[in-house]
Parts: sequence; C-alpha cells; structure tokens
Amino acid sequence: MSDATKIAAAASSKDPAVGLSAVTALRGLLESLEELQVANARSHGWSWQQVAEALQVSRQAVHKKYRKFGF
Amino acid sequence: MFERFTDEARQVVVLAQERAREHGAGAIGTEHLLLALYRVPDNLALAVLGANGVDRDAVEADVDALREGYGPAAAEALATLGIDLDEVRRQVDEAFGPGALDRTRSASGKESWWKGGHLGFERASRKVLELALREAMRLEHGYIGTEHILLGLLQTEGAAQRILLARGLRVQTATAMVDGLVRSQRAS
Repeated sequence: MSDATKIAAAASSKDPAVGLSAVTALRGLLESLEELQVANARSHGWSWQQVAEALQVSRQAVHKKYRKFGF
Repeated sequence: MFERFTDEARQVVVLAQERAREHGAGAIGTEHLLLALYRVPDNLALAVLGANGVDRDAVEADVDALREGYGPAAAEALATLGIDLDEVRRQVDEAFGPGALDRTRSASGKESWWKGGHLGFERASRKVLELALREAMRLEHGYIGTEHILLGLLQTEGAAQRILLARGLRVQTATAMVDGLVRSQRAS
C-alpha cells in the first residue's frame, strides 16, 4: 500500500484512537502557530488589545496566556 | 499515596516536578521522573542503572532528543487530516527562521502549558507510581524507594520506558537486581 493510500485509509477510518490523536496534534500545531504569530505581532509593536481583537478573544485571555513568555 | 515513600523517593518526585517546569512541560512526564532519579545521590535505582551502563549523560541526551519539537507521531496524526507537517514546518521556518516551529513551547512542552501553576502528573507518571507501589508490595519491601520507581518506569508505556529499553535495560534484569540488592542490604 502506498503512503497516500495509507493516509486516505486512516482519514476515513472511524477508529477513535486515530481521530483523537489527529485532533490532539492539530491542537498542538494551532498553539505553536498562535505563539509564533503573537510573538511576531508584539515585536511589530502591536498592543495586547490589537492581538486580542485579531484572535477574537478577550485582552485578558491573551495577556494571561502569553505574558509569562515575555512577548 | 506518598506516605510509604522513602525520603529519596520523595526527592525524586520533587525533582521531577522541577525538571518538568524547566522543560516548560504542562505536566510531570515519565522522562522527568527518570531524569530525577539521577539527581538523588547514591540511590538503589542508580545502582541498577549504573550496573547496566545506563548513565546520566546518555539519558539526558535521549530526553533532549525527545524534546526537539514535533515527532513522527504528530506528523502521522496530522497526515490523516491531509495536513503535511513538513510543509507547514517549511513555510513557518521560511517566515520565522529555521527551527522556529519546533522551538515553540507548544512543540517542546507537550501539553497545557498555558494553564500554569501547579504541575500535576501525566497519566503515565501516575501509573509509574502505582506500579512502584505494586512492585514494592510484591517484593514485600514495605516501603517505596527509588528502585521501585525505576521498576515502575520500566513497566509503563512512555518516554522513560522507550529510553530505558533502547539503552538495553530489561525489566526482568532490573527486578532481579533490585530484589538482590535489597536482600543483601537487609542481610548486612
């Protein structure tokens, strides 16, 4: 079976273990991308308010989550 | 569950929490327990590890290698959704510099780091401690020491188990050694 076929088979499988690990990995990737983009925005001088609006969350939420990173 | 822990075993738990925090991890993983065993001087787990040539530098290097960003498991899981992690990494690295994606806290810190505060145990680490208790009871030792934590690590699926197996340590060998060491300590 080629890699592509294997991937297609996995994607269409209803195996919860496969599906849930995919969701977990996706969530991890989302967090990484958000972290990079928030750091980038801050280094471009964006305020927490601006970052929060772009992410569609409250300013408190974004500040609480990222303040300890020193962005 | 900690009341029957020896002082050294308690130190391992405390030091594991420190290692996890240093790593920016969301919880104490089995690898943090393994690293912590090496930070408590002269314990029985170290005697077993040393006798089998599993030394501190090698284990620390193994754990560092595990922490290097997204592994093949993540790539495979994302592929089931049609997401090519290599391509994502390529794009991100182009924008933010080589290794940027894998250096993010989410990539190296495992999970839920944003919750902050007290670090609990990963499920696998809780299982390690439960198995340590079980091994101590089975061997009729009446306390839980570093050596039982090591036996727990060897029997619980996780990062520490993978490292120890790859370094050639086997649960049967380790159990026999622990049994022998404790017997000879008691005899003397």
